[in-house]
Amino acid sequence: MQYIAEGNSVELLRRISGTYEVYAPRKNARGYSLERWNSSAAPITMGGARMSEPLKAFFFQPRQLVAENFSPNIPPLSGKPRCIVGVKACDLAGLEFLDRVFNAPEDRDPFYARVREQTLIIAADCTAALDTCFCLALGIDPFPKKNFDIALSPVNGGYLVETGSEKGRDIVTSHSNLFTEPDEAVLSKREEQRARVKRDAASRIDECGVPSVTSSEQWIARHYESELWKEEAKPCVECGACNTICPTCHCFLLYDQMQGGQLARYRTWDSCLYKDFARVAGGGNPRHVLWMRLRNRFEKKFDYAPKVLGQTGCTGCGRCVAACPGKIDIRNVLKRLATHG
Amino acid sequence: MADNGNPYRPIKTSVLEVIPETPTIKTLRLKPDEPISFVPGQFIELTVPGVGEAPFTPSSHYSVKDELKVSVMRVGKVTEKIHALEPGDTVGLRGPFGSAYPLDTFVGKEILVVGGGCGFAPLRSLMYALFDRSAEFKKLLFRGGCRNPGELLYRGEIAEWGKRSDLDLVLTVDNGDSEWQGPVGVVTTILDNLPMNCREGVAIVCGPPVMMKFATKKLLELGFAEDHIFLSMEKNMSCGLGKCGHCRLGEYYCCKDGPVFPYSSIKGFGNIWE
Repeated sequence: MQYIAEGNSVELLRRISGTYEVYAPRKNARGYSLERWNSSAAPITMGGARMSEPLKAFFFQPRQLVAENFSPNIPPLSGKPRCIVGVKACDLAGLEFLDRVFNAPEDRDPFYARVREQTLIIAADCTAALDTCFCLALGIDPFPKKNFDIALSPVNGGYLVETGSEKGRDIVTSHSNLFTEPDEAVLSKREEQRARVKRDAASRIDECGVPSVTSSEQWIARHYESELWKEEAKPCVECGACNTICPTCHCFLLYDQMQGGQLARYRTWDSCLYKDFARVAGGGNPRHVLWMRLRNRFEKKFDYAPKVLGQTGCTGCGRCVAACPGKIDIRNVLKRLATHG
Repeated sequence: MADNGNPYRPIKTSVLEVIPETPTIKTLRLKPDEPISFVPGQFIELTVPGVGEAPFTPSSHYSVKDELKVSVMRVGKVTEKIHALEPGDTVGLRGPFGSAYPLDTFVGKEILVVGGGCGFAPLRSLMYALFDRSAEFKKLLFRGGCRNPGELLYRGEIAEWGKRSDLDLVLTVDNGDSEWQGPVGVVTTILDNLPMNCREGVAIVCGPPVMMKFATKKLLELGFAEDHIFLSMEKNMSCGLGKCGHCRLGEYYCCKDGPVFPYSSIKGFGNIWE
């Protein structure tokens, strides 16, 4: 482990920005948002809590041209690769989930894989929990453990530094003059701070009564025909906000159009709450009623995903709680699934 | 899937021939610029440039690599445009995707194929494969039905099948006409008294969901084992890669893990027939 002082961390970002387009979090009225970083910009907020937006748009674009005419070529990427700074543990889990979908060794999506490969992830500890945070219920601690290149823990006005990949180690090694050996006091300060944030997050979970979701696999089967789906779906307006804002939702629509007289195929984010999501050409629709589609969302995340992908499709980030105009609260649904009937 | 680098790009394909089959079904004979090799059970995605893609199971012989046929019922936006295609037009193909009928496990068994309406299209490709290997099977039965004689797909060809010594064939229609000589009634009405040992046999069902539902129910009553009934599931297959999410059926994606499933592996997933 290494230590980097605040001033040196800015210098590190400045040097990294020679190779990468750097995005870093800044606090605003809505919470924390990623912004393009440059050395003359206002200071960033490394700690705090997760960003308002999930990371997925960097790797899996909301709308992407995936085929032109009949060419097998994949259009080359333009611009510098990106470095995303201040990524929190829940979003690292979201990225791991997307990796399972789009970057499995035998079945890589070329559009995702190449961006994932070249992106540098600098993670950071949460130093606060939002009201809607419930990562602990998913077995995720509010500090980075894996899926990062470099991880920073804000302590004493600087950062404790861990590396999690060859790419991360190379960067730390090649700028070694910016780092020092941490002393014991800094290390124990980090542990205290992590324990405090964890306690804070745990108390919010307790307040809401969110159950541990680490063994949710029988919940859906047990409640498949339950009235709870109809009740929970009542305020749903099928806007798809929960899907859009979710770090693990990855469903997409392929749609074609003519562009300059040629076939252009786009991949866009889709929503399983939309009525026609599963509809077939003859008009048959396995999920023709809204509550069935809400159930499907939970089934995919808490039954299919752990069984087939080996990871629950929820990171406890709480974004869908904040985004839903009908105030459907995933924590409440999970509570009902764990206790109801 | 052919490794063409980009899994979303269709292979440029020429329409060689458009064959009207019934008032609502046309068969296209297609020649892709690069050969597409499929086995019965797998499907392809057919692109009408600028309009969209839709999944179809080829109805032609699997051994013909440089051409394939798909039979398309006019039911929606893409199929409407497909019906307007003419020889010389350009379309696109992706695939093949999905699983095959496990023909090797059928060896030495009595096989019943049950088809309904447009389900005859994928089954024709399967029948070609079964005919090629018919000596390896103990018995081969085909039971098919459609709404009326005018909607009977491949009518001429199936009449020829009726002359084969290696096939026991019965067809029914829901509503007969003055020329129809065969039985009248839905397809389940011709599944009684099958000249086979159902408990040991294999059944393959393909057709509209409601037909599949009742045919499966009937087959179970007749004693077919749940893992010996193979269903061709119609879901909203789109990407073909098990990623876009549209065709999920319980723990499976139809496009990748199916579309052919033994009944035993999907019966526990909510309402599979809708």
